[in-house]
Amino acid sequence: MTRIARLIAIAATTALTLSKKRQLQRSPAATGALVGQSRTIVTAARRLNRASGMIAGSVLIDSAMEHYRGNFSNRAMWTPLATAAMTIGASAHGLGDRQHGAHTVRDTIYSTAGAVGLVGTAFHIYNITKQVGGLSWQNLFYAAPLGAPAAITLSGITGFLAERVRHNRPGTPELIFGYPAGQVVAGGTALSLLATSAEAGLLHFRGAFHNPAMLLPVTMPPISAALLLRAALTGSAGRMTTYFVGATAAMGLAGVVFHAYGVSRNKGGFKNWRQTLFAGPPLPAPPSFTGLALAGLSALSLIRRARRG
Amino acid sequence: MWSDALNAPRARDGKAPDVLHQGGWVEMREYRDTEEVDFVIVGTGAGGGTLAARLAEQGFSVVAMDAGGWFRPIEEFASDETAQEMIYWNDHRVTDGANPLTMGGNNSGKAIGGSTVHYAMVALRFRPEWFKSRTLLGYGADWPIDWREMWHWYAEAERQLSIAGPLSYPWGPKRGRYPFRAHELNGAAKLLAEGAQKTGIEWTETPLATLSAPYRDANGTSPPCVYRGFCRFGCSTNAKRSSLTVFIPRALAAGAEVRDLAMVGKIETGPDGRATGVHYHRDGEWRFQKAKNVIVAGYAVETPRLLLNSANDRFPDGLANSSGLVGKNLMTQSNSAVWGRMDTPVRSYKGPPSLAISEHWNYDDNNDFHGGYLWLGQGPMPIEWAGVLTGAKGLWGDALREEMRDYNHMVGVKMVGETLPNEANRVTLADDVDQYGLKVARITFSYGDNDKAMIDHALQQMRASIDAVDASDIFDQPDDNCHLGGTIRMGDDPTTSVVNADGRSWDIPNLWVCDGSLFPTVGGVNPSLTIYALALRMADRIGEMSKRGELYRCRM
Ligand SMILES: Cc1cc2nc3c(=O)[nH]c(=O)nc-3n(C[C@H](O)[C@H](O)[C@H](O)COP(=O)(O)OP(=O)(O)OC[C@H]3O[C@@H](n4cnc5c(N)ncnc54)[C@H](O)[C@@H]3O)c2cc1C
Ligand code: SF4
Repeated sequence: MTRIARLIAIAATTALTLSKKRQLQRSPAATGALVGQSRTIVTAARRLNRASGMIAGSVLIDSAMEHYRGNFSNRAMWTPLATAAMTIGASAHGLGDRQHGAHTVRDTIYSTAGAVGLVGTAFHIYNITKQVGGLSWQNLFYAAPLGAPAAITLSGITGFLAERVRHNRPGTPELIFGYPAGQVVAGGTALSLLATSAEAGLLHFRGAFHNPAMLLPVTMPPISAALLLRAALTGSAGRMTTYFVGATAAMGLAGVVFHAYGVSRNKGGFKNWRQTLFAGPPLPAPPSFTGLALAGLSALSLIRRARRG
Repeated sequence: MWSDALNAPRARDGKAPDVLHQGGWVEMREYRDTEEVDFVIVGTGAGGGTLAARLAEQGFSVVAMDAGGWFRPIEEFASDETAQEMIYWNDHRVTDGANPLTMGGNNSGKAIGGSTVHYAMVALRFRPEWFKSRTLLGYGADWPIDWREMWHWYAEAERQLSIAGPLSYPWGPKRGRYPFRAHELNGAAKLLAEGAQKTGIEWTETPLATLSAPYRDANGTSPPCVYRGFCRFGCSTNAKRSSLTVFIPRALAAGAEVRDLAMVGKIETGPDGRATGVHYHRDGEWRFQKAKNVIVAGYAVETPRLLLNSANDRFPDGLANSSGLVGKNLMTQSNSAVWGRMDTPVRSYKGPPSLAISEHWNYDDNNDFHGGYLWLGQGPMPIEWAGVLTGAKGLWGDALREEMRDYNHMVGVKMVGETLPNEANRVTLADDVDQYGLKVARITFSYGDNDKAMIDHALQQMRASIDAVDASDIFDQPDDNCHLGGTIRMGDDPTTSVVNADGRSWDIPNLWVCDGSLFPTVGGVNPSLTIYALALRMADRIGEMSKRGELYRCRM
């Protein structure tokens, strides 16, 4: 890792532990209902932290493998590793934090992750356009993947939303930038699921959908996304939505098993893991669906909570 | 270990090698020599292997024979150019003419699976006009089959072979989507693309018969390509989709018997002038297999050789030869190349050799020659490359050694060019005999003026493309030839062709041919997909004819 990246990581971790939180004072006169709501807010926020960490974990391992494969030929290829590692740190910290109020350092890290992902996407687009053939299927399939850096942005956004949710004061409606928090998170998650599904679709199309299971990530997440969008727009969600989003979370984990099977079908299988782990479908990729689905579940609980009033 | 495959037949006692599983065997139905099977097929390559599968799948009794061994790719194929010579037809042949053809690894296989065991997997369709090149383009001879019908069979062949190709093909009429996505371009392919872009012609990813994703069917599984580039010396992963890995397993599963190390020396005819079976050499002795129909699929040299070697009192000029055309109109495809050196390493040998293609000149009729050509990216193996340097540059000794150091930096493109049919180019019998005591083929070939004009044009265009990518030390490799075609022309007229559109002899209705020798013209594309498509079509036609009772004593 470059020295700069290491320094950033150390600084961030130290800052996380030492920093003073922009705490919201808990109302001393909190009634039973308020305590309940307070717990819901923190739980929802922690769930979002967890979701963000999950996505960042997927990005960390995926980019470590892919960029190792690419020999870290460009120093910038360390960036996603450092950013994803910091995002994981921030998320772990958030998960352990049972207090109200957004946390400055976590916020900074999440925002940085969001920005780094955007810059990474721009880099990857640049990489694609400078290949012979430009924006062609060949390059979309095989040049630097657009979806990978975008996933860092999604992890950053999810974490950022976690902090916004956490910043709500018990006794007031949970809002993000003035809008109902559950609905905002639901909407954001829906769009993120669609984007991730598009990425899986592109790569599974490259694999000619040779196994019917490869259709799952292009059907289940879009259905979940549609249901979440409906929840975002209407402010209410039925059981069906929870089932689908939950199933999407499970699918992300099952995806690792499917991908492991895919790896085993490459020449030499796992005995030849030093090649097949790289040549076969990426093991760490599918859990980003789980991360997003967890964010979706968190959104749904907020929506339900808001409806109960 | 591999010598086993050449020492003694492996398919016997009711089982045959299962090439899709390490150390595997599959059950194989066996027929007695005295059993009159519906079809005996000579050769198990693109034509014979495909037919064996499709005929057996329709319920016919089939025995397919091949002079070559039954190799197990995953265990026996070495990443060693010299060791892999075992899969080529290197038996004695005589070549002459003004441009004697190089024979062997560049054009003839001898193995279960035929030449598809070591083909480069380029899977292309003809340009539609070529099926009527005499009528529409003014040269060669018309095919007896309409291009629209062939389009159907091409699609079928592509599906059955799981061809990996681009999402849209820049030339010719629209085609359906290839079953698998195109492979990633290697260094050589990217340079071909760059050269094409800079010189203003189109290029695309080459449709290839090697898997870009895992594949499974009832007979087994195959992994996707690992991009090691040994394709032309036998693919040791089975990612290659060939007659050996696709059609032979299907043929066995459908009840065909496939006999390795079985050299057919003569087709016998009966008093009624019909074929009655084949004499073949296996296990050190000559035997006779009775059959209701004989299909010859030995490729453009061995097929006419067998028909000529089968001459008897009734057919003194060889079988199916009332037109006098057996062995005539031999065509090859010109395979000249241009090479250059890049400053940065190219490592052209990584991956299948021809990952990118330009068919531009196949679709341009404004030239001072007939026919067309394409060019493909190249990835020669080291010994091959040394051969290019000695042949084209005359290097030897220290100079060769020095130049070999640049191996990683070399880039090249190679044409596949149409040569025109000419009766003087032909296969006849020489006086020499081979290890079985059979007269060997004499292969006479000279390029015509049209062929030479095309090669000159191609060299010039390929040079421009290599030059456009800023290669240095550019040099031509003008003399090389590859695929074969012609010698058993198919047509509509018994006086100007040997067989009809179904590959059925005009003279002997239970004698058929199904291989590259059927081609009236070879076009400017690699031939295997057309041979597979012809075989699929022929199997379908035989099925129909059988139902209508139009086959000799053979009715389903
Ligand atoms: C190095 C190389 C690369 C190639 N690359 C490509 C490519 O990229 N794309 C493409 O389209 N084509 C390619 N080809 C050409 C393609 O492989 C052949 O055109 C095709 O396989 C011919 O099919 P066939 O059925 O006519 O004959 P083959 O596939 O050659 O099969 C003939 C079989 O018949 C057997 N045989 C012959 N005579 C007898 C006999 N008397 N008794 C018993 N058996 C006999 C032989 O042993 C052989 O196995 C390549 C060929 C070579 C050599
Ligand atoms: S490059 Fe692919 S097709 Fe060629 S030999 Fe290797 S695995 Fe087989």
